[in-house]
Amino acid sequence: MTTLTVTINGRTYAPRDVRDELTMNDFLREYLGMTGTKFGCGVAQCLSCAIIVDDPDGTSYTSPTCIVPAINFNGKSIRTVEGHAKNGELSPLQKAFIEHFSFQCGYCTAGFVNEGQVLLERLAKKPVPRTDLEKTIAEALDGHLCRCTGYVKYHEAIRAVILADPDRYLS
Amino acid sequence: MNYNFRVQVLVAALVLPMSVLTAYAVSDGAPERLASVESFASIPDEATRSAAIFTEFGKVLTHPRCMNCHPTSDRPRQGDARRLHQPPVWRGADGYGLPAMRCPICHTKANFDPAGVPGNPIWHLAPLEMGWQDRTLGQICEQIKDPARNGGRSLEALIEHIREEPLVSWAWAPGYGRQPAPGTQHQAGDLIEAWVKTGAVCPN
Repeated sequence: MTTLTVTINGRTYAPRDVRDELTMNDFLREYLGMTGTKFGCGVAQCLSCAIIVDDPDGTSYTSPTCIVPAINFNGKSIRTVEGHAKNGELSPLQKAFIEHFSFQCGYCTAGFVNEGQVLLERLAKKPVPRTDLEKTIAEALDGHLCRCTGYVKYHEAIRAVILADPDRYLS
Repeated sequence: MNYNFRVQVLVAALVLPMSVLTAYAVSDGAPERLASVESFASIPDEATRSAAIFTEFGKVLTHPRCMNCHPTSDRPRQGDARRLHQPPVWRGADGYGLPAMRCPICHTKANFDPAGVPGNPIWHLAPLEMGWQDRTLGQICEQIKDPARNGGRSLEALIEHIREEPLVSWAWAPGYGRQPAPGTQHQAGDLIEAWVKTGAVCPN
């Protein structure tokens, strides 16, 4: 057993003892009831379980949760799909996913939302030329699997958010 | 059917499936062994003995536990079958993966057996110039003698690398479902040291 303290979507949860064998996916879904993070393949191949980890240096990255022990997130600050909407309003990226019909069953969407959000934040700090944008989006989404609508509509939605604010995301 | 025979049948009925399941769970085969340095003493010619020792040590270098992360491409392999790593991952600028898929995100500080994921604090790919896949043992031998292709190591540093490096140590404690590298790390260290002391001759 290890005592786990983790901040999720800005809220620090009280320390609790968890089994060292417990995955982060089970901790979120079964212990906290945060079922927005999905359990897909269980071997980090679909990334529907991906969440955002915010490092103290201001950088963020996504991590699968199905194969990573919960205790690996001890002391860390993470974001899940439940944390994107503010005051009941969806984030620009979430709205773009809806407008572009990016998802159908939605099982993979939480992972795509998190990955897309990390990309937007990374571009806001380090913009890329327009000529590199398609490759940048494709590389960011690489590894996320979708069996319904494919990948083009996710790609197009993220591109639309970026092109709507070129001064922020493009160099 | 007498009592003794019935007991024997019952024991066999219990033990056989359990042994089959146990063998399946642990590994696809028994761990390989390494010959000791002393076992090469009967080879009179030192150069021949040196090459023979390296050939034995080569069982470690060419084992999936080592080879999978010494690719000659930008993609690691995984498992005893050496299939391409899934999910798809690439080397990245520093050998720790691309920004969106860094090795330590999944490969944590220790093996996580419930999910079957190996781990180590410095899990990463060997540099491209240290790639071994699809090369002969002789080619690998020449490669690891060359500081330009062995991470800048002298032969003495190479011995230390095999004996002490934590990521090398992992090869003998790879976690559930993965066959460990042949022999022990200590034996491998003895072999590489004996190879160096006998002139570091490469096999043809």
